[in-house]
Amino acid sequence: MRAAEVQPAMQPERFQELALGIERELAKFIVGQRELVRSVLIALIAGGHVLLEGQPGLGKTVLVRSLSDVLELGFARVQFTPDLMPADVTGTNIVTEDDSGRRRFEFQPGPLFTNLLLADEINRATPKTQSALLEAMQERQVTVGDRTRPLPRPFFVLATQNPIELEGTYPLPEAQLDRFLFKLLVPFPSAEDLAEIARRTTGVADAELLPVASGDDLSAMSTLAREVPVAEPVMERAVRILLATHPDRTEAPEEVRRYVRWGASPRGLQTLVLAGRIRALLEGRFNLALEDLEAVAAPALRHRVFLNFEADAAGVDSDRVVAAALESTRGN
Amino acid sequence: MKPVSTSPPQLPGGQGGQVVFLDLLGRVRLRLLRDRAVMWGANGVAAGALLALVVEIVYRRWPLDPGWPGLAGALAVGVAVAVAGWALAWPSLPEVARIADLRLGGRERLTTALQFAGEGGWVYGRQRDDAAAFARRADLAALDAVSPPLKVLGLAAVAGAGALVLALLPNPAVQQLRERRAEVAAQAQAAGQVDQIARQLGQAQAGADPVKRQALTQELQKAAAAARQAPSPQSAVGALSQAQDNLRQLQDPNLAQKQDAAAGAGQQLAQNANAAAAGKALASGDQKTAAGELNKLAQSLPAMSDQQRQQLAQSLSQAAGAAGGDQKLQSSLSQASQALQQGNTQAAQQSLQGAAQEAQAVAAGEQFQGDVNQAVNGLQQAKQPLQGQQGQDGQASQQGQGQQGQGQQGQGQGQGQGQGQGQGQGQGQGQGQGQGQGQGQGQGQGQGQGQGQGQGQSGQGNGSGTGGGTTRPAGSTEKVYVPSQAQDTGNGLNQGSQPGVQNGLVPYQDVLADYKASALNQVNRADIPQQQQQLVQQYFSDLGQ
Repeated sequence: MRAAEVQPAMQPERFQELALGIERELAKFIVGQRELVRSVLIALIAGGHVLLEGQPGLGKTVLVRSLSDVLELGFARVQFTPDLMPADVTGTNIVTEDDSGRRRFEFQPGPLFTNLLLADEINRATPKTQSALLEAMQERQVTVGDRTRPLPRPFFVLATQNPIELEGTYPLPEAQLDRFLFKLLVPFPSAEDLAEIARRTTGVADAELLPVASGDDLSAMSTLAREVPVAEPVMERAVRILLATHPDRTEAPEEVRRYVRWGASPRGLQTLVLAGRIRALLEGRFNLALEDLEAVAAPALRHRVFLNFEADAAGVDSDRVVAAALESTRGN
Repeated sequence: MKPVSTSPPQLPGGQGGQVVFLDLLGRVRLRLLRDRAVMWGANGVAAGALLALVVEIVYRRWPLDPGWPGLAGALAVGVAVAVAGWALAWPSLPEVARIADLRLGGRERLTTALQFAGEGGWVYGRQRDDAAAFARRADLAALDAVSPPLKVLGLAAVAGAGALVLALLPNPAVQQLRERRAEVAAQAQAAGQVDQIARQLGQAQAGADPVKRQALTQELQKAAAAARQAPSPQSAVGALSQAQDNLRQLQDPNLAQKQDAAAGAGQQLAQNANAAAAGKALASGDQKTAAGELNKLAQSLPAMSDQQRQQLAQSLSQAAGAAGGDQKLQSSLSQASQALQQGNTQAAQQSLQGAAQEAQAVAAGEQFQGDVNQAVNGLQQAKQPLQGQQGQDGQASQQGQGQQGQGQQGQGQGQGQGQGQGQGQGQGQGQGQGQGQGQGQGQGQGQGQGQGQGQGQSGQGNGSGTGGGTTRPAGSTEKVYVPSQAQDTGNGLNQGSQPGVQNGLVPYQDVLADYKASALNQVNRADIPQQQQQLVQQYFSDLGQ
């Protein structure tokens, strides 16, 4: 169907209005962290899951909780611990007795059955429990026993994790990492932001969040963003960026060839383009620009590039590798 | 050159936006063309300079003379690189849009609008509007002028300077090439001269021994081929020298003895009235005439009286005694004498005819020797340009025999080779100094040292020399070839004044009159004693006989 024959799912002006409203409301509780908030918003519009990584106490949980309030979405929080079982997340069948005294199995939904799931400190759970999220994140459904149950729409998982070098953590498997649209690093606040945090959280007044958008609004925003045209040179650049993360490619820069074990999957390219389109709309443009690709490259690719031991020994992180890939494709 | 597409199906922002959009792209394209002209111009200059440097370097190893075609080719390549590169780099509209986005901060607005210019739909329309709005506010001042390609220009300057230096410095390879060409030309010239001599000798009258004459011609042809194909002038000179040696071996080593014997016998016979003509001819070295006179004498025997026969027998006996150097002549004369003494006229006739045949054979030998000498001299002349190519040899002093006479009396010709060794034929009169080896004919005064063969009459002079000589009586009908005037430049051949002598060799008889007239004109002056003038006149009179 040609785009000329349909009306937009949402007027672009409305798109920007909603986005700015969400950011404005979140700013009441989240001090600074504009890029972090913008990235989370992009991921939600794209319908993707977000992995937030940062030290404890940086406001990751507050951010997710605030999002649920602003978006009028169902919210659930699961604190992942080493003894957390998969059924604790997905739900389980329990024996119930009706008024007639007849017993039967009844499915008791787990916290997954919500719109916005906060998987707090996901890397503290065992891989078995982490894997319970796999089907839910990708298929947006849960299978318990012989029945598969769909999850409510929209469904987002915002997982937080502490840096993996901390004790008592289980690194997320590569397959699960790839299911997160973005991996966002939560930076430590600046001095000004710290002061503002102190003022807001230690005073008497308590901010009140107003709902700005609904799940349907997010869906319409996503539909609109997918219509943003992409010029051929921009798409070629996106492909080159992805290929440049693969160490076996001739166009890969030296850092990639030296430190990368596996490059980003095709999901990385999808993320680059889709997130870039959303960013373009957020910037008031109707086309994907190279600038958009570069802006979303790090959160889209950093968790999809797997480094080798030499990188660990040299202290090289995936952000540096992604930056090298960007640089190598710039100006070609 | 790429075609310029100026009419996309639908361009941003309606009619006004389309104009603005196209105007922006057109201005950006002009800037790009200007920048690329500068870049490709520099590339062309660098390519031409580098190629010129390579050409000059290559010329040092593989020279080309003249060298300007290579440099012109380098220049042409440079121009072609500049023009072709600029034409091939002609920016298309999508490329212009992409570069405009990059340099003007369009964030791919123009690129996207151009690519989806034909698409309908609200989002494309909004995107085109956005692009048109950007085009309206775009400032071309943001298109930074491309800085001149200093590295390329620097490279071009270095390469050009290197090529210029190499072009100005002497190129030994080119000099060698030129020398080699001159050598080849000199070898070809020498070979041509030898070929010409071979043709002349081949067209001349056949001598007494056709086999020897054929060998002479073949040796000359072989020498010409060797000179032409020789790898160097030295080799060519060596080949010609070898040919000279081979030719000398064709000469009859006993010819001088036979000539002396004939002369001695002739002097004896000249005292007899009936045999005086034959005797004078033999004495003067005119063997052909002598042969004829001997045959006449044989035929006249029956008509002689007994007394005349006895007197003739006695003269023949004395002549036989004087002809010890020629056994056959001696035997014939002796047998004729004995036959006459015995009254056997017929046997005497046969013996005299045998003597005539021997005289004829000596005449043929003399002619062949003259041909050989001419060939040797021709080879020597052919060596001159080759020796000139050798340089040091060409600088050698060349002293010839029979240098131009001193004073007003000088007339001579000769040729020779440096250091007093040479061969040649000479004819002259006057005074000369020289060293050499050769044959000469002349009369007059001379000083010299050397070895040579000469023929002369009534010569006066002082000097020292060794060699054999024959006295040729006046009135000889033998054709003696003399080198022409044109051949005596730079090879030691000098002539005082030789009227009527043209290029090549001419028969002696043909030029004798001119020589005589010229010589008499030269000596007909008050400061020359009358006796000397008469001497010259007598000399030519004798020659004319």
